[in-house]
Amino acid sequence: MEVQKEAQRIMTLSVWKMYHSRMQRGGLRLHRSLQLSLVMRSARELYLSAKVEVHEPEVSLQPARFLDPRLHSRREAEAEAEAAPLDGEQPSPEPMDTQEAPRAQEAPARGGPCPAKVSRKRRSSNLSDGGDVGLVPSKKARLEEEAASLEIPDRLQPSPAQAEGAFPNLARVLQRRFSGLLNCNPAAPPTAPPACEAKPACRPADSMLNVLVRAVVAF
Amino acid sequence: HMFRDRTVTSSVSWCCFPLGVLSDIISTVEFNHSGELLATGDKGGRVVIFQQEQENKIQSHSRGEYNVYSTFQSHEPEFDYLKSLEIEEKINKIRWLPQKNAAQFLLSTNDKTIKLWKISERDKRPEGYNLKEEDGRYRDPTTVTTLRVPVFRPMDLMVEASPRRIFANAHTYHINSISINSDYETYLSADDLRINLWHLEITDRSFNIVDIKPANMEELTEVITAAEFHPNSCNTFVYSSSKGTIRLCDMRASALCDRHSKLFEEPEDPSNRSFFSEIISSISDVKFSHSGRYMMTRDYLSVKIWDLNMENRPVETYQVHEYLRSKLCSLYENDCIFDKFECCWNGSDSVVMTGSYNNFFRMFDRNTKRDITLEASRENNKPRTVLKPRKVCASGKRKKDEISVDSLDFNKKILHTAWHPKENIIAVATTNNLYIFQDKVN
Repeated sequence: MEVQKEAQRIMTLSVWKMYHSRMQRGGLRLHRSLQLSLVMRSARELYLSAKVEVHEPEVSLQPARFLDPRLHSRREAEAEAEAAPLDGEQPSPEPMDTQEAPRAQEAPARGGPCPAKVSRKRRSSNLSDGGDVGLVPSKKARLEEEAASLEIPDRLQPSPAQAEGAFPNLARVLQRRFSGLLNCNPAAPPTAPPACEAKPACRPADSMLNVLVRAVVAF
Repeated sequence: HMFRDRTVTSSVSWCCFPLGVLSDIISTVEFNHSGELLATGDKGGRVVIFQQEQENKIQSHSRGEYNVYSTFQSHEPEFDYLKSLEIEEKINKIRWLPQKNAAQFLLSTNDKTIKLWKISERDKRPEGYNLKEEDGRYRDPTTVTTLRVPVFRPMDLMVEASPRRIFANAHTYHINSISINSDYETYLSADDLRINLWHLEITDRSFNIVDIKPANMEELTEVITAAEFHPNSCNTFVYSSSKGTIRLCDMRASALCDRHSKLFEEPEDPSNRSFFSEIISSISDVKFSHSGRYMMTRDYLSVKIWDLNMENRPVETYQVHEYLRSKLCSLYENDCIFDKFECCWNGSDSVVMTGSYNNFFRMFDRNTKRDITLEASRENNKPRTVLKPRKVCASGKRKKDEISVDSLDFNKKILHTAWHPKENIIAVATTNNLYIFQDKVN
């Protein structure tokens, strides 16, 4: 349990560090982003393995649905990541599949369930966990679970001012998807980071962890 | 042999010559080849050069103090309109060229642009023009009745810095290293994913010699963290990675040196494996020894000396602050785990030095295997007093004069240090103070 909590805390911390690093003067630092994503991946692996040890396999899916990149549509993940390169360091977007990006814009607004469409794209081997393939439930079952169990604690509701910030969707998705994590984290940063970069509309992503991890390396 | 053969860690007493506060955070420190000049770069894009006073033969205990010689703005903040990104003016590295004539030349770089600066002295000026007054105003030609030959008269020394070359637009990622080749005609610049080779005379072209960018950026697993040319072989260079490996490349082998000639990597100690193992193994600095036989790498917790003839493990490993290994989580929280410490050799390659926290810096004597911890701080160091060795108490009962790990100040870090190429003189940069320490000559 302790291990889980610690892993959760580190994951949340890493997400915020990644987020903050985008605001830095001089642009996103590739090395720093890579290091953060490595820590995040280790934390996730630790979290998943701790969960497996402690709980039944079905229950262990709860965090997995937040974290496993393959459980959710990759379209939105990539669409989000595609937005990232615009403030990254590449002169042109990295080979993300742009043809699916427009479809992602029709993705449901906040509060809606994640799209049921399964991505036809090749899974990223960089981020996948070979070990938890057996833990993945069918997509349908998980969506129902998700809709039923989504809860956002009051204290984590974005204030109106926050929600109108430069990254309204990102902030909302962070809080929604990480409600479990943020619940357990006493050190969760209370406010959204200041907006100082114009950014095209963020597309809500199903797996924020996956998105952010890939966003920072895929630019 | 110009270098005194004394063990630095025991019989040398270091004393401090304060240089005063620089107004911005120091980001790089470098002695020139003779050691007479010391350049510092800061976060504001400025370069400050200090010059050693000529040795006072009468007062032999005072071996030339360093005074400000020249200050100039090397880089300005820029804006990349295409990517909507600000380009920081912070000077990442300075490298001196060997002196060929009266002027001095150095390369300074920020994240994107390298500049060649010429620093020259002017100590005389022409006087006695026929058509101009001394203040520069033109004389009425009708008042000129005699002709004279202008002569040079001495004037107060003026040191001028002028940019001679600007090497721009060759790096997509942030430049972390520059290194001048032993041919003194070419140099390399390295960013996170690529290394380029330049000719000092040519600014509109550079050759890419290393490219580790994967076709799919999602598969990125390591970046280049530092690169350096071999001090003697003009075809050889090394680059270090965020995974703790060093690759030695030979430019004669192929135009693009993606395939290394040698790969230096130490297998990880499984007992040390932790959550943050991967990121603390990232190498923050790599430096060849003056002899060219060894190279030194700095990762977060240690300094390693590698023999170029042995790839599978370092020949020496020195723990800089092993007591931090149990604190990695806190250091991750406060971002200290990402600090990039540099390291340096002394002139005879017998001692290596690197920085730590609490304004401590460490020296390791390779011959005696002894080490020493010293502190750079104004409260503790009055000028010309000898530095007292410090000790960190890792656990258990703290002895008198020891400092416990928990009371270390992690905001006071020494990332940049430099050692005079010939003497026991060191330059140590705290956040925005520069200290010069010299061994006390009795």
